[in-house]
Amino acid sequence: MNAIMILLLLFFVGGFLVYFAYKLHKIIGDILIAIIGLASAYLFFKLNIEQTLTWNLAGFKFGLGFTGFSWIFGLLLAILSPLALIYSIPYMKGKERLGWFYMLFLFVIGSMYGILMAQDWISLFIFWEIMTWSSYLIVVYSRSKPLDKVGLKYIFFSAIGAYALLSAIVIIQANIKSFYIADLIKLFALLPHSTQLLIGILLVIGFGVKAAVMPLHIWAPDSYSNAPMSFTSIFSGAMSKMGIYGLILVLISMYYNHGIGSFGIWMAWLGAITAVLATFYAIVQDDAKKLLAWSSVAQLGYIVAGIGIGTKLAIFAAIFLALIHGLFKGTLFMAVGAIERQVGTTKFSELRALIRKMPFTFVSALISVIALAGVPPLAGFVGKWMLYESMIISHKVWVVILIFLSSTAAFLYSYRFLFGLFLGQEEKEFKNVKEAPALMVIPMLLMALVLVLLGTLPGYIFRPIAKSMEALGYTDITYQMSVLTNSWENIVDLSYVSLILGVVFIVFLIVITLVNYKNTRYVTTKDIHTAGEPPSDNDNYHFVLDFFRPFQRAIAPVFKYSVSQIYSVIGRGIEDFLQFVRRFYTGNAQTYALYVIILLSILFFIAKYIF
Amino acid sequence: MAFWQTLGSVLLTIFIAFVIGMFYMGIRRKVIARIQNRYGPPVYQNFLDVVKLWSKSSNINHGIMQHFAPLWMIAMAISTLLFVPIVYNSDFWLNFSHKVDLILILYLMVFGPLGLALGAGQTGNPNSAIGVTRGLSQLVGFEIPWVIALITVMIQYKTTSLTELVSYQQIHHTWIALEQPFAFLASLLVIPAMFRYSPYDIVGAPSELASGPMSEFGGKYLGLLMSSGSIFMFAKLALIVDIFLGGASSWLGMIVKTLALYLIPVMWSAINPRYRTEQAIWSLWRWPLILSLLGLIIATV
Repeated sequence: MNAIMILLLLFFVGGFLVYFAYKLHKIIGDILIAIIGLASAYLFFKLNIEQTLTWNLAGFKFGLGFTGFSWIFGLLLAILSPLALIYSIPYMKGKERLGWFYMLFLFVIGSMYGILMAQDWISLFIFWEIMTWSSYLIVVYSRSKPLDKVGLKYIFFSAIGAYALLSAIVIIQANIKSFYIADLIKLFALLPHSTQLLIGILLVIGFGVKAAVMPLHIWAPDSYSNAPMSFTSIFSGAMSKMGIYGLILVLISMYYNHGIGSFGIWMAWLGAITAVLATFYAIVQDDAKKLLAWSSVAQLGYIVAGIGIGTKLAIFAAIFLALIHGLFKGTLFMAVGAIERQVGTTKFSELRALIRKMPFTFVSALISVIALAGVPPLAGFVGKWMLYESMIISHKVWVVILIFLSSTAAFLYSYRFLFGLFLGQEEKEFKNVKEAPALMVIPMLLMALVLVLLGTLPGYIFRPIAKSMEALGYTDITYQMSVLTNSWENIVDLSYVSLILGVVFIVFLIVITLVNYKNTRYVTTKDIHTAGEPPSDNDNYHFVLDFFRPFQRAIAPVFKYSVSQIYSVIGRGIEDFLQFVRRFYTGNAQTYALYVIILLSILFFIAKYIF
Repeated sequence: MAFWQTLGSVLLTIFIAFVIGMFYMGIRRKVIARIQNRYGPPVYQNFLDVVKLWSKSSNINHGIMQHFAPLWMIAMAISTLLFVPIVYNSDFWLNFSHKVDLILILYLMVFGPLGLALGAGQTGNPNSAIGVTRGLSQLVGFEIPWVIALITVMIQYKTTSLTELVSYQQIHHTWIALEQPFAFLASLLVIPAMFRYSPYDIVGAPSELASGPMSEFGGKYLGLLMSSGSIFMFAKLALIVDIFLGGASSWLGMIVKTLALYLIPVMWSAINPRYRTEQAIWSLWRWPLILSLLGLIIATV
């Protein structure tokens, strides 16, 4: 049987199998989940890129199979999804309706593979809808209180996206008489300009919803934070990248290859504004999940901005950032999930000083946060560097200033995240907190390790990215194992950066540990300098409320308005209008008769005097 | 042979930068004292302080992150120093300045403070955490005009490499400060915030936050922080001299230029009270931002 078929069947048949396996016994289900996760990764790496599966139906050609470009997103999925599934086993332990949850989980992953393999718009749309509906059901899975609103927001925006996508597909079919994506890319230049614009806008809306581009983002923070964390690591890490995949496909293959560039700069602006505003919102959150959710929106903003710039380096940066974001945001959501499982809350105002209780979770969160903040020598910096350089070289100065503002402000929520969860004054309440089980810790540490490795040797991932860009039509892409180069021939040799930082760190680690070793002692966090008022056992001087109050005051004007306010104004407007319309429906037959007569007379007058 | 030569120049550079930085700090204390009509400590006072701190008989820490905190700082300070070109056209003093570019240095410069912030957070002292939040807020404040000024320079001279900027200025016998006066003025206004001198000393804030993030550091930890602070200060000054004031063709030139540059924020700080955090951000987003944007518009149009 065809390997593509096996990969899809693994998830869609496996989903039903898992459902019944959990009916039988939990252990059988857990084992099945782990096997499916690992088998999918194995199958993916065995899969040949050239392999395709085509069939004809009603005179149209349909096809499944990876292209060089979609393979790179498949790679992310193949790394992230087995780890998330394995992490999920201890994380979801003891929860109800596990079979239902895992069935949907597998459907989401399977449909993502389907989207990446779809070579025609119809298959893409079908898998797109399976993904949307399965993830919707997972978002409302936990049945907590304000959930109807969260789920409604998500499905409403997804529906907007789906309608836009469907209309685009219909228009494409009417114009080029083929559902094949490759055909559209080939024939796009021949279409009239207005059709090109219409298709472009509809597809951008369709994919932009999943990529959480402002103003289509407002479903994202709530949905990300309400789904179980093991799913959110996929939701934010991989599923949002399907939107990115679509956006790159639309903008790069269709627009840039045919020289209509002005569309891109608007995307870049949208991405940059998304990044700045979402970062500001992330800073003021009190819930670690919400913080990460807003941060995801902001990071997707960088990626969209990179796609909008559209130069070789910018696309390279966008794809790289998309992969890296999947890794570090996946890890961070997993870390928050570990804390939620072990302590029972994810609110900064309730948590503190877990570093000594959950050291491995801390290490993986620390590495991911450093990568998120883009500080060298980790992988985040590589992506940031390429993004900045591409923007500076192509003179998109205003966009780069916004991106700089956003990523500097990202330090604030990065610190808040680490400090709020792991640092600060220790609390008796958390004395008995234990580290999360090994099956949760190992996936996190593995992903963190990849981030460290790619910070010095990004060449390992540059190779597949370069291949995927060649599939997009870019030529002559150069890259080196650990040297970054821009088109002005300026370089950054990452190996030197890592080497110097590492050597100095280790030398001074030895010095500072050995000097006066005997008289260096550890004291508790209650034993601090407080000008003569040491905290008693029951006091806690942890600083957590209004953490960035002065900064909030400085940027107060931004918080006056928000996109969701605009939506609620529109919503209220529609409601008022419908209330007004309802007045016509009095329920009295004579009134309706009057309307009919009025209408007829108006038509009569129009017919008589105007025509 | 090449390895030993590099190692020698690296160690010498670190040592000289440390000594210069220490003397600059001493000069600062002296200058401020004279402005305030005091006599002030001797110029070499900071050396005595570091020696004293390293030889303290007992040291305490609140955990591993605090133990690591000075290490992020020293790693950042030394690597920044080695990536900044100091003596133009000298093979011996080249260090690693040709291996990286300006964006990396920009990002490298926050590596240390963030590590220190983590260590300060672990101490459990509320003053430390408050100081860190202030410092990060102020970072957002000054980074924007500073980055705009640097983008202006990068776009104008079509390079992001520091060595190329220096060699451009040396070959044409010019200063970018004269060619891009607005960008230079903006960075000049930003320097006090970068060095956290009054009126931007909200992070340490003596008599208010009990020296903020540093409040739980003592003994060898504070000693290492002070040493890295002096190295980092010289590296920052050298960076600005390289970008705007033409670099230097000898150590002496570099010392003269950095000292002249350093005295501006020092004297400015001697006569200023302290901003509140939001005032600091707003003040940085007023004149420095306007000047840097003006420079950018002139450069791009």
